[in-house]
Amino acid sequence: MKQIFSIYRYNPDVDNKPYMKDYELEIPEGSDMMVLDALTLLKQKDPTLSFRRSCREGVCGSDGMNINGKNGLGCITPLSAVAAKKIVLRPLPGLPVIRDLVIDMTQFYNQYEKIRPYLINDGKNPPAREHLQSIEEREKLDGLYECILCACCSSSCPSFWWNPDKFIGPAGLLHAYRFLIDSRDTATEERLEDLQDAYSVFRCHGIMNCVDVCPKGLNPTKAIGHIKSMLLTRAV
Amino acid sequence: MKKQRPVNLDLSTIKMHAAANASILHRVSGVIMVFAIGILLWTLSLSLSSAEGFSQIETLLSGVFFKIIILGTLSALIYHLLGGIRHLMMDLGYFEELASGNATAKFVIALWLVLTIVVGVKLW
Repeated sequence: MKQIFSIYRYNPDVDNKPYMKDYELEIPEGSDMMVLDALTLLKQKDPTLSFRRSCREGVCGSDGMNINGKNGLGCITPLSAVAAKKIVLRPLPGLPVIRDLVIDMTQFYNQYEKIRPYLINDGKNPPAREHLQSIEEREKLDGLYECILCACCSSSCPSFWWNPDKFIGPAGLLHAYRFLIDSRDTATEERLEDLQDAYSVFRCHGIMNCVDVCPKGLNPTKAIGHIKSMLLTRAV
Repeated sequence: MKKQRPVNLDLSTIKMHAAANASILHRVSGVIMVFAIGILLWTLSLSLSSAEGFSQIETLLSGVFFKIIILGTLSALIYHLLGGIRHLMMDLGYFEELASGNATAKFVIALWLVLTIVVGVKLW
């Protein structure tokens, strides 16, 4: 079976602007492969094709890309799931393109850094050994800690497209909530204070593109909803 | 780096699911209503200005062009109301999952289309 790919190409050294280039790949009848496998095969034909990848199994979050209009990880998206005559591969939307499918994630990481993505504990009640959590307390982190920061969600979010410098974005906010409800973290008040402004959290308008694209099946919209409630409770 | 890096943000290449469309329509209907308020206020002030003004508005309203404007305005209002209620429910923590969010989005859009047709029939 012949599979056609249309891939976003841009090489800052030779191209003035990006363009779409078509590729053809022969795929043995009755077999399937991941989008990343296909890209690797195409790169053998055209070594100038650039993309990021590392673990090739949906753990590292390097190969986030826009596959036929929807963000996802190339390594865990089978060609059969895309099921299109022509598979269009474009870089994650909204972030500057360094080359081909490789994007500059600085803005994304800056927002992540803002929420202080680490445990803060004032050490007033130091435990004898480690900070213990009950099973219930630990369960609150489920659906939050699994995020691999692939940027599929934030780069699918219109609010993030228009305000990448002021809106934390779904990924950052998912992590923010992860620390806000961690029983071991004592900086809840300061964290909420940092998110108080009109942009950081409240640019989220429940569009839910983040939930639609998350390759790990997480729900940033819900986490943001919880943060909004916490901010509201604090204000009244 | 010599050049400004390009950004891939060609909206025609990006797929939107039902919940995203519901949210965008909410924004669009809001903008339409802002403009519609101007037209409505103008008709109100003209109709209150004098008996001639009132009859002028009466003839205007019976015309097809103005009926379309009224239908558009009411349609935007209906959508904004329905979509707004959906967003308020989400703020309260309901329908925040992908399946339920999309279901309510489709429901709101369907209900809006039906109500718009009902209003259209009433107007004509």
